[in-house]
Amino acid sequence: MAAKPGDIDPITTEIIRNAFIAIAQDMNATLIRSAYTPIIYEGKDCSVALLDEDGNVLGQSAGLPLFLGNLEICVKLTAEMYGWEVFQPGDVFYMNDAYMTGTHLNDSTIFAPIFSRGTRVGFAATRAHWLDVGAKDPGGSMDSHEIYQEGVRWAPTRIYEGGKPRKDIIDLLRRNSRFGYGLVGDMNAQVAACRTGEVRFQSVLDRFGHETVAAARDEIFRQSEQLEREAVLAIADGSYNAEGYLDNDGLGSPPVKVRVRVDIVGDQMTVDLDGSAAQTYGPVNCGFAQTISAVRVAFKLLVNPKRPVDGGTFRTLTVQAPEGSIFRATEPAACQWYFSSLGLLIDLIPRALASVLPQKVASAHYGDSMVIYVAGVDPRKGNAPYLAVEPTTGGWGAYHDGDGQDALINNVNGGFKDLPVEVYENKYPVVLRRYGLRTDTGGAGRTRGGTGIYREYHLDAPATIYLWFERSVTPAWGLFGGKQAVPPDVIINPGRADERHMLKVNALALKVGDVIRTQTGGGGGYGSPWERDPQRVRADVVDGYISRAGAERDYGVVLDETLAIDVARSEALRAAMQAAA
Amino acid sequence: MTHYRVSADIGGTFTDFVVMEDNAHIYTGKVLTTPENPALGVLKGLTQLVPNLQEIEFLVHGTTVGLNAFLERRGSRVLLVMTEGVGDAYTIARGDRKELYALQYRKPQLLVERRAVHEVRGRVKWDGAILEPLHEEDFAPIVEAVRSEGFPAVAVCFLHSYAYPEHELRAREILASALPGISITLSHEIAREWREYERASSAVMNAYIAPIVERYLVSLEEQVRARGVDVTLHVMQSSGGVMTVDAARRQPVYTLLSGPVGGTVGCIALSQVTGRPNLIGVDMGGTSFDVSLVVDGRPEITSETQLEGLPLLMSVVNIRTIGAGGGSLAWLEAGAMRVGPQSAGAVPGPVCYGQGGTAPTVTDANLFLKRLGAQSLLGGRMTLDEAATAAAIHTMAAQVNLDDVAFAEGMLAITNAKMADAIRTITVEQGIDPRQFGLVAFGGAGPMHAVWLARELNIGEVIVPRFPGTFSAWGMLQTDVRHDLTRNYYFPVAGVDRTGIEGVFMELHAEGARALEAEQVAAGDMYFVRSADMRYVGQEYTVNVGVAEQLDVADVEQAFHAAHNTRYGHATPGAPVEFVNLRVAALGRLARKESRFRPQSSGSSEQTAHRLAVFDGVARKTPVLWRDDIPLGAVWQGPLVVEEDSATTIIPPGYSMRLDEWGNLIIHAD
Repeated sequence: MAAKPGDIDPITTEIIRNAFIAIAQDMNATLIRSAYTPIIYEGKDCSVALLDEDGNVLGQSAGLPLFLGNLEICVKLTAEMYGWEVFQPGDVFYMNDAYMTGTHLNDSTIFAPIFSRGTRVGFAATRAHWLDVGAKDPGGSMDSHEIYQEGVRWAPTRIYEGGKPRKDIIDLLRRNSRFGYGLVGDMNAQVAACRTGEVRFQSVLDRFGHETVAAARDEIFRQSEQLEREAVLAIADGSYNAEGYLDNDGLGSPPVKVRVRVDIVGDQMTVDLDGSAAQTYGPVNCGFAQTISAVRVAFKLLVNPKRPVDGGTFRTLTVQAPEGSIFRATEPAACQWYFSSLGLLIDLIPRALASVLPQKVASAHYGDSMVIYVAGVDPRKGNAPYLAVEPTTGGWGAYHDGDGQDALINNVNGGFKDLPVEVYENKYPVVLRRYGLRTDTGGAGRTRGGTGIYREYHLDAPATIYLWFERSVTPAWGLFGGKQAVPPDVIINPGRADERHMLKVNALALKVGDVIRTQTGGGGGYGSPWERDPQRVRADVVDGYISRAGAERDYGVVLDETLAIDVARSEALRAAMQAAA
Repeated sequence: MTHYRVSADIGGTFTDFVVMEDNAHIYTGKVLTTPENPALGVLKGLTQLVPNLQEIEFLVHGTTVGLNAFLERRGSRVLLVMTEGVGDAYTIARGDRKELYALQYRKPQLLVERRAVHEVRGRVKWDGAILEPLHEEDFAPIVEAVRSEGFPAVAVCFLHSYAYPEHELRAREILASALPGISITLSHEIAREWREYERASSAVMNAYIAPIVERYLVSLEEQVRARGVDVTLHVMQSSGGVMTVDAARRQPVYTLLSGPVGGTVGCIALSQVTGRPNLIGVDMGGTSFDVSLVVDGRPEITSETQLEGLPLLMSVVNIRTIGAGGGSLAWLEAGAMRVGPQSAGAVPGPVCYGQGGTAPTVTDANLFLKRLGAQSLLGGRMTLDEAATAAAIHTMAAQVNLDDVAFAEGMLAITNAKMADAIRTITVEQGIDPRQFGLVAFGGAGPMHAVWLARELNIGEVIVPRFPGTFSAWGMLQTDVRHDLTRNYYFPVAGVDRTGIEGVFMELHAEGARALEAEQVAAGDMYFVRSADMRYVGQEYTVNVGVAEQLDVADVEQAFHAAHNTRYGHATPGAPVEFVNLRVAALGRLARKESRFRPQSSGSSEQTAHRLAVFDGVARKTPVLWRDDIPLGAVWQGPLVVEEDSATTIIPPGYSMRLDEWGNLIIHAD
């Protein structure tokens, strides 16, 4: 489709733009409606996009923030491998290679070229998390060190050819999963979503004609690009840096460095990850495609966050990472926990740009998904095996005119909800005795970082636990004088003789009566703590977000037993804090 | 003696009335809402419309008193009591983010500050075993706090109370005896379902609006009684049923969405009366566009909803709101033309209202194209400023190099396409095909856009009901008394104890019958609808499945697979299925009769009024009919405008319209 500029009116363009967005939503609705496994239709671990004939995004709908704009790359890589003529009417392709798609092998990309009157006019593409793709452990592993342990790896492969399913290939997929039945169901749901995209796109083409749709596309891309150029141009030119560390690679390595340099030159932004750690033995590596997505998430958080994404978006953004680093991993690097590095990367970009975008950034959040698995058999249900998988919420960073939020899910997740105590206790032989906000864990500041949480699991039956808690080496930092937050900590049998602390563990066997207390970190503070209105400090004490001692220590606000502010002592203390800073 | 059945829908600006005289003749009325005491507006309307208030035999109303108190955050201060160890479950609010890309995200604002959440020792396990007995001494500081800080309302939510409410019941005894006159809400009495945050949130909402709704209902009842109205007052519930004022005083939270559901109930009545099983109802007002579905003659009722991000566990007619309405604003960026979702709202409103609006709205575009007449609104009591509208449209059109007519038609085309896209997505989510539906358009702006929506969606038939502007009030006259009862029942279907389930249903049945009896429903008018929330083992969300009175577990399981297939596009026969909740809707039939329309016109009216309305860039001489003058049966060709007090219907060229025997406008493509 070639279009001449200026041959389209703004009304038609706007109707077509809205239609592209709606088509992506309809594809998403189809996928969610027909997926088999809850991780897709409830966890929303999926994304869809409608692409043009060259693989540029016309409309997209992401279930997870991290799935922002990572489908077009799959089409383009396929064309790079086999040439554009590889796409034929009725084809559907599958791929999950971590180094190509960028995420872990569970994330399965399925896309179909769309043809109209014999010409390729676009693609419908989907990605969804499949429960099991044949890793050495069910679902995936916490201790893998080679991609081969994480499942079967697929380069772009036709699962439909000329409109017919390739039964041999689909059978191979099914046989290599512990949940083959659901896998095929989810695959069919993705194919159905592609079909929805195809049918809906065809109706738009029928109504407006190819040339008009192409002209609208070019105009839509131009509009998006212009709006982003204007936004990036408004950021002062310069080179901005930030760095932080993952605690380890999951297999006991030293801290893993993440280094970010953001260059702003005119209306262009370049994010260079040179200086970040070489790919690790443990599974915290990811493919370059997903690194690009993560940088786009950070970019989106700062530039026009509410605007939909299309092929004109991100044209002002360039991402670079050295080959063989954790962000551009090569075979055989393990990738199962790829998002830990990316969560930190997403936090570091606002940090780098804080000095030039002080109103738009926030201090760091608690950092990672903080996952606990509890596995065992349930004696209440005839020793039926169970596996409880939970990410955990924590504190978010403060910003210029607001406190960070308490107990919120991390940046690479979105709509995730904690499991209610009542539901958990009905499903699993565990009593969740305590669940609450962790006082004094938010970083102090003019605006306060959000607080982390604690959650106490009392085992009514023996169980094996797995933990993936992160960000103790680089806890959530503050900005502009705001303080860093308290890091996470997991305690086994707190207060007992056999009390132990740990953050990551694989298959730790525990017995009846044992207690696991998970504790997540807070978010960083923003601005100097002594600038916080003493009345707000007092209110936080009344509400229990900070303690009386914390108010005095971190904010220089002295409260008596009745929680009245001791003005004289507070002023003296604050003056001393300021002088020492 | 004449008998009157009257409904009143108290909206933000107007209170709408529909009066049915002797179950045959219907008329409507409108008065300004009196926000400080809505009962006054209701009384005023009743006095104007009903000659003798003593002849009212049924009075139902929909109220936004509770909803407005919530939206404006004017409710009562609430102290929340929760189980020791998990009081923060309310403040944590499950930790999800409702926006994917927001570094400066803010959680929905809760109704109870953390400082007002108190914990009491007393821990029940999942199976009712007592891990720790209720420590009654822990209530002493709570009683003290309520007294010293002057809380008018207390909500109590203990873990597992959905199944084991004893501790909550004891809590009420203790609190009520120490704190006479304080409003006390127990979570299990509002929502008998698990999930402590959602249940606490529901209980808090009830406590938050209880004192205000109570005052209002008492005032209304006293005043209508004083005027001689001697019937039980009914209130519309969010579930689409009605309840008596006494029941509403106990559970005011059920009245929260009392107004908007009237439209859906109206669609169901329309579906039954006219024999159309599948309808998409669209209610387009000034700022929002509400879509509801009637599938196979039944409304979509969900057991959970959210208001401003706060969850509520209660039966609610599912209405989806899209940010598009008459007030949607046109705006420009980067050479692009956009319409909405920003709205001019009530103030300043569209340019043509002359209240300071400068950017053209959808209403302005309709006026500019003369689809809407300068005298069309409120039966001509409000004159629209056509010159101001024309100037505003000209200014913006010039910036994108469009002529004014193209710009105005473009605004409508963009809006209609967006609304149609939104409806299409809803149908995809539900797995239904819009082509098998009729489109019912009501609300002030709905009938102006309906034909274009139908065209975009390939819907063959548009129905504009009688009194589209007071359709919600009409719907309220068409409903039943309703009580929804729920029990948590978490058991695998395989090997389920049939008598156990039957026992729970009988219990709910009896409870519902008692509630209906208290509302003076005769035993012969009661009926009960059983259902179960079920899912495949391992799933989190449930599908609601109808259960026959003669329980057959195998049938129920089959029905679940079928319902799952409809909802999600697939089923897994043979996979393990479990029950989560058992539900009974207890309903009481209210006497009513179908009212056939009696055309008032002789059918010979000569049409004289015309406007030069614009369609596809061409101004055409378009007849303007007054709805009451349209004779029954005759077929009219578009272009055509039908006006009435509360709405304007547009039939463009290529479509024709007729009036059916119930007084509905039926529009088809030629």
